[in-house]
Amino acid sequence: MYQYDAFDRTFVNERVAEFRDQTRRFLAGELSEDDFRPLRLRNGLYIQKHAPMLRVAIPYGLLATRQLRMLAHIARRYDRGFGHFSTRQNIQFNWPKLAEVPDILAELATVDMHAIQTSGNCIRNVTTDHLAGVASDELEDPRPWCELIRQWSTLHPEFTYLPRKFKIAVSGASHDRAVTAVHDVGLRLVRGPTGDIGFEVQVGGGLGRMPIIGKRIREWLPQQELLAYLEAILRVYNRHGRRDNIHRARIKVLVKSLGIAAFARQVEAEFAANRAVAPRLEAARIAQLRASFRPPAYRPRPDIDASVGADAAFVAWYRHNTRAHKVSGYRVVFISLKKHGEAPGDMTAAQMDALADLADRHSFGEVRVTHDQNLVLADVPQAELRTLHAALAPLGLASPNIGTLTDMICCPGLDFCSLANAGSIGIAKQIHEQFDDLDYLYDLGEIQVKMSGCMNACGHHHVGHIGILGVDKHGEEWYQITLGGSATGQVSLGEVIGPSVPKPEVAATIGRILDVYVEQRESDSESFLQVVRRIGVAPFKERVYAPDTVAA
Amino acid sequence: MRQILSRREVRADRWRYPGEDGDGPRVQTLAELQAAAVPAGPVGVRLAPVDEVEQLAPYLESLELVIVHFDSVGDGRGYSQAQLLRDRLGYRGELRAAGAVRRDQLFLLARCGFDSFEFAAGEDPRAALAQLDAYSVAYQRSSGTLVSPNLRA
Repeated sequence: MYQYDAFDRTFVNERVAEFRDQTRRFLAGELSEDDFRPLRLRNGLYIQKHAPMLRVAIPYGLLATRQLRMLAHIARRYDRGFGHFSTRQNIQFNWPKLAEVPDILAELATVDMHAIQTSGNCIRNVTTDHLAGVASDELEDPRPWCELIRQWSTLHPEFTYLPRKFKIAVSGASHDRAVTAVHDVGLRLVRGPTGDIGFEVQVGGGLGRMPIIGKRIREWLPQQELLAYLEAILRVYNRHGRRDNIHRARIKVLVKSLGIAAFARQVEAEFAANRAVAPRLEAARIAQLRASFRPPAYRPRPDIDASVGADAAFVAWYRHNTRAHKVSGYRVVFISLKKHGEAPGDMTAAQMDALADLADRHSFGEVRVTHDQNLVLADVPQAELRTLHAALAPLGLASPNIGTLTDMICCPGLDFCSLANAGSIGIAKQIHEQFDDLDYLYDLGEIQVKMSGCMNACGHHHVGHIGILGVDKHGEEWYQITLGGSATGQVSLGEVIGPSVPKPEVAATIGRILDVYVEQRESDSESFLQVVRRIGVAPFKERVYAPDTVAA
Repeated sequence: MRQILSRREVRADRWRYPGEDGDGPRVQTLAELQAAAVPAGPVGVRLAPVDEVEQLAPYLESLELVIVHFDSVGDGRGYSQAQLLRDRLGYRGELRAAGAVRRDQLFLLARCGFDSFEFAAGEDPRAALAQLDAYSVAYQRSSGTLVSPNLRA
């Protein structure tokens, strides 16, 4: 993975020193709350319900084990012994003390980490495919480009005070696992007319109050023009994006109001006009970045099937929590953070330390964070899977539920977040309790449940096969259900099935939806999403709102 | 008398802003500049965040001061206005950030080509000076000359 050089370290240390002084001035009353806010936000610090929340960047979801151990140390020393992995491949600490945040950032800097631009109206942490470099459907590893974007976007002189936050995702595979279509800019590595690999550029996607699929602005962009083109998009947005209404300030609103054709013309005109001074990438720079992501030293390994002759627990885990690797003899392992009884995405310091040890032993010392709040050990030899599983199980990190109904995405919700209208962690628990029969979950097959505690959609509910949105009704928590969304492959937005349901009814409502699916599927291989797409939401709606089933 | 941080020195401003009396050359709004006949003497103009900097192209020869006004710290349009003035229009005269200008944004403003600063009330220009040296490195090229951090190769 990318290693910081002296330049990167100098920058991060200077950033820590700057924020230490700003925090001191705030605490001394020399800096007002209003003036401090944009500064702390750009250092990942929110003021939440109970305490500040610090969001630490995990660029494109990649962690070295020394970094994971540092996160464990921070959880233990400055928080309550755990952290929460978010849907943007970052980690959040919910209980730090404001006065200690500069110390936390200084400790992070010792392992080449930071919290820069994880919030605020600026370019946020760039995200990518959690299977980058190991997936067989990959055209090119997107991570060198992510690192390039990370550096370019860090304290960009012109684009640090944008109308609103700005998220970029990159995918290098034919099956898009980075949800590029719902980002402000989505980049996909594709072959152009000459056979060279470049970028397909999408713009204006997003979730939140106005969910929308991004529009293609460039079919193919040469790789060396990437930063020049991003600067053109950002400049048009920075100059013309709305600033009068926070809910109309994302680039998607500008794209929608101008129309994609007119927006594209403005971007292309700016791109052309700026050519003389725009950043153009030298081949040597690209080669240097690619060299930072060379594959690990794979060794020839027997391509055995580790599940043959294994016990049922291992077989279930192998089947659901591991995936094919492009290198023979290796397997990709998913670490489920969706254990029954735990808040989705939460991990204790002890688990982090233990997983770091296992990653050192079995997966070249690297761990990845997925956008659906699980972790990945990307390069585990088949022959070591049983040992790994035996070590993960007592840590509570071997729940064999990846891709099933209980592998839910869930925001922190009303329990932690000051924006939330309703709880989401409690609903996750309710769903876990109702659907604790693994055989039933396996029979249902792949179902993505995504849950947000408010319309800001941190839990990506619009793109869940089943989406759950918490709403506030006269001070009570109610939940609106959508069906048919999809975050990967052919991205789609879910359709609302009807009026929201009261809190105690959420799991039962999902139960009725699943009954319809089981009755309607034409074969065991027809997935939930396929059935919804085939028959529409009407049959589900009819069952959910049948007079004899509505308790409230 | 208005105090300005000009490059790295604090000095009294010689310009009169729109609506101000007294001696010294007068700063015009963009609309005033466009309505006026061929200007005599030094020309200074003040841009609002919505103003298109390209409109200044006909006046570049006689412009000595461009003030970019920030309505709030969070309104970042002025950064693009500055970059365009320097990069695209080739303006080399005094480029002043005014309005909601605080020391914590000074480094970024300087990187975008601002070389003079009129701070918001309560900000001490001398104390703010240190912020120009907050960073010795930067990842991007930019059009500023007041600060020159080492750039990523």
